[in-house]
Amino acid sequence: MRYRIIRNDIRKSKAVSFTTLFFVAAAALLLSLAALLMVNLAGSIETLMTKAKAPHFMQMHSGTVDRARLEAFARQQGDVEAMQVVDFLNLDGSQLIINGRSYADSVQDNGLSTQNKQFDFLLDLNGQVIEPAKGELYVPVSYRKDGRVQVGDLAVIAGNEFRVAGFLRDAQMNSLLASSKRFLVNEQDYAKMQAFGSTEYLIEFRLKDLSRLSAFQAAYTSAGLEAGGPAVTYPLFRMLNAISDGLMIAVILLISVLVVSIAFLCIRLTLLARIEEDYREIGVMKAIGLRVSDIKALYLAKYAVLAGAGSLVGFALSFAFRGALLENIRLSMGEGENTSLALLVGVLGVLLVFLMMMAYVRHVLNRFRKISAAEAVRFGERQEKSAGAKQVRLSRSKSINTNVFLGIKEVLARKRLYTTLLAVLVLSTFIMLVPHNLSNTISSKSFISYMGIGMSDLRFDIQQTDHISEKAAVLAKALESDRSVTRHAVLTTKSFLTVKEDGSEERIKIELGDHSVFPVAYSGGRAPAAGNEVALSAMNAQELEKKVGDSMTLLIDDKESIFTVCGIYSDITNGGKTAKAAFPAPSADTMWSVVYAELADPTLAESKVSAYAATYPFVKVSPVEEYKTQTFGSTMNAIDLASRVALAVALAVMALITVLFMNMLVAKDRTSIAVMKALGFTSSDIRVQYASRSIFVLLVGIVLGTLLANTLGEGLAGAMISSFGATSFAFAIHPLTAYGLYPLLMIGTVLLATRIGTSNVSHTKIAEAIKE
Amino acid sequence: MEKIVIGEKIMKSFGNGSEQVKVLDGVSVQIGEGEFVAIMGPSGSGKSTLLFALSGMDGVDGGRVVFTGRNLSTLKEQELSDLRRTSMGFVFQQPTLLKNLNLLDNIMLPSMRDNRKHAAQIAEKAKGLMKRAGIAELEKRDVTQASGGQLQRVGICRALMCDPKIIFGDEPTGALNSKAAQEIMDMLTAINEEGTAILLVTHDAKVAARAERILFMRDGNIRDERRLAKYTGTGIEDRVELVAATMRDYEI
Repeated sequence: MRYRIIRNDIRKSKAVSFTTLFFVAAAALLLSLAALLMVNLAGSIETLMTKAKAPHFMQMHSGTVDRARLEAFARQQGDVEAMQVVDFLNLDGSQLIINGRSYADSVQDNGLSTQNKQFDFLLDLNGQVIEPAKGELYVPVSYRKDGRVQVGDLAVIAGNEFRVAGFLRDAQMNSLLASSKRFLVNEQDYAKMQAFGSTEYLIEFRLKDLSRLSAFQAAYTSAGLEAGGPAVTYPLFRMLNAISDGLMIAVILLISVLVVSIAFLCIRLTLLARIEEDYREIGVMKAIGLRVSDIKALYLAKYAVLAGAGSLVGFALSFAFRGALLENIRLSMGEGENTSLALLVGVLGVLLVFLMMMAYVRHVLNRFRKISAAEAVRFGERQEKSAGAKQVRLSRSKSINTNVFLGIKEVLARKRLYTTLLAVLVLSTFIMLVPHNLSNTISSKSFISYMGIGMSDLRFDIQQTDHISEKAAVLAKALESDRSVTRHAVLTTKSFLTVKEDGSEERIKIELGDHSVFPVAYSGGRAPAAGNEVALSAMNAQELEKKVGDSMTLLIDDKESIFTVCGIYSDITNGGKTAKAAFPAPSADTMWSVVYAELADPTLAESKVSAYAATYPFVKVSPVEEYKTQTFGSTMNAIDLASRVALAVALAVMALITVLFMNMLVAKDRTSIAVMKALGFTSSDIRVQYASRSIFVLLVGIVLGTLLANTLGEGLAGAMISSFGATSFAFAIHPLTAYGLYPLLMIGTVLLATRIGTSNVSHTKIAEAIKE
Repeated sequence: MEKIVIGEKIMKSFGNGSEQVKVLDGVSVQIGEGEFVAIMGPSGSGKSTLLFALSGMDGVDGGRVVFTGRNLSTLKEQELSDLRRTSMGFVFQQPTLLKNLNLLDNIMLPSMRDNRKHAAQIAEKAKGLMKRAGIAELEKRDVTQASGGQLQRVGICRALMCDPKIIFGDEPTGALNSKAAQEIMDMLTAINEEGTAILLVTHDAKVAARAERILFMRDGNIRDERRLAKYTGTGIEDRVELVAATMRDYEI
């Protein structure tokens, strides 16, 4: 009997049942995928880092290395299990040509390495330690992903030919966010190539106990050992490996939250409409003494069937999609060891969706308690207290079209019913605007200033060479006399010691120069101007526990000087830990110099790059736009794609829900429609009334959705961006699209959907509907 | 007497195939200007269907309906709507009012569609009608705050807003107690005296007794017709007795 009721009910409302099923399935699919990916990602990263024996602490250093002193230090430290100094032959991009394409435009520091003996192994795609033969070259797996290289390709490095023998996974430098990439060659080949590049050193340690890491790091720093470059730790490697796939998981999770909300709204919409339709019957059932729980069970059963079927379908589909999504993780990091755990977590995700749906249906059905049997039997519908609506009277509405008036009046009189539609529209507006605004912000030229780089056209890097200051001066002079360059700034990074509150010293890299020419985005305070001011990157400020206005001590020429923290800014360069100041320090060691230049005509950037690169071979020149594309390119593309998908999804959801909602309203309002027609209103009059309802709700939805996107959405996007080290995020909104085109698209979609949803109006027969 | 509605050989069936039921079987009927006509008959005889067909609210399968010289089956939906709004009034068994609007707004509604610029005049007219119907004090009330009889009077006021040539009534007193029913019939009689034709379907001899012509239906056609003198407010018992006798003949 119950089975028959459910079957008839589902048959009667095919569209609605199918939509609910669809969203439940989608929610189950996404949640189980997200769970699966999370477990797999964690597993793969762990496996990769374990197999590769990634270093626990790694100090990059350019310059000479005192190996004996380092070994002595390692012996002294009881925590050290193993130590090694790894050579990394930094090559100029132009000397690396694979398959006829040069890596001159690569923003990564590409270089050669040999396989290590003790730890930090470079692995092949099967997870095995690679031992390259002579003439073989192994390429970082991230270059396989962008389709530049294939196995068997010919590689020419500084005139010497190699054959690409395979790809390697590098537990340290796999991620595009790690700025160096290691190519693996045979030791004899390496020795032959050494003349063509500059050697950098990776000073690596494995500890007996990883929890002693920070103590070890402090010991290393205070020992005053080699520190001519960034220092990176095991947890940071793990984070770098997790970020890009982690972002994908975060996006899937976010989408699944939205889909679950939409499924909830669908259920709410259909249930509320259904309750209104059955109002009298429910009243009668109550009146003849059926218990609320009995009546609830009748409705609950149908949703149990729908939610159960949806969850199963979603779970089954997750098997079809998991391959494609896991591919990237498998390729970069290999298979994890959590397969059975992944399955279990996937099942839990699906179960969670099912339970949430049922709990929500129960919650909505609690409304039965409030139905008064007498009222239901007498009026056949809920008597809503429509505060506000009463003031809106036809007799006072000279200026509004009567049909439009009736539409708006209906919405005001039954706010609760329309709140559901409003929620869908607010949500859709939000889904459309946030990715769009984010995408627009990231692709806007000014976004570069969130990355710790001034808004300029050209960037000249002078590093890993000698006489850096002199070379920078030569370049600055040339820029000075170049008429196509409107302004330029030389920023020189030097290394200093800062004295912390507890008296311990910490090395800090400070970029010196005029920071007012190409300012970065400050989340607090401003750029350093006076000689006693210093600005800190957000990560450094956090680590040193400084805020704007605090003072900090720096050792300059062995003398302690007090500086004031004048600003905190976003930075994703150099691992996010930088500082800026304007004081002169001629005696301090120069680590590198960066020169920024702005062109009168930015379209000339490409030709300027080649001209300067040819004249000044010691300089690495890149257009800033290019720099951004290469470091942030894949993220930018992903967000752009996401914003397009979000637009399509939001419009589709909007259309679908509006069609369903209108369809249900028309079915419910049959009698009123018939009365209207009997009074001489045409079908198109009545459709205008429905369109007025949906457009009225939509306009409110657009306003609320936009407000929400610009506040909550901006916060969410900011949180995502700040995970890269960029802070003080604000949307760069394209007003024509966000406030013009998108609302128009929404209005068009909702109008069309309303037209489709109300097509039954013209089929409503007055005689039949009124006789009922 | 000019004819307002002419029905010729009207055919109407419901359902499909073997389940098809012929409800009107070639009915011909004419309603003159200012006439008061009642249709009676047992349940299922087709009287409501005839009323809906004559008012153009339902289409016909055969024959034709001519309303003030225009063949309804040739009119577009738009033209039919215009005709309903300007020349016809409807009163149904259940008070068919819009629940979102108060009583005054319900009465004004059809007229506001075309003339909202004259909202003040329309409101004046509606208030005048409410006063006449004895419900002047209810204008701001909601639909749920009035009795069945009061709502039916609101329905009649609404029907009168366009100064219709005819009012169609489908059991207008069917849901009311006898006192309220009598008040409604007094109101309709008064309207008829001012020249508006009335065509109503009823089971009630007391209601039909107000008419000057009574059509008796059975099995989809008019089987008999009784003419009475125009009702002037006296002798209702004799008229009711006459109607009741005919009803017994037809087992209504």
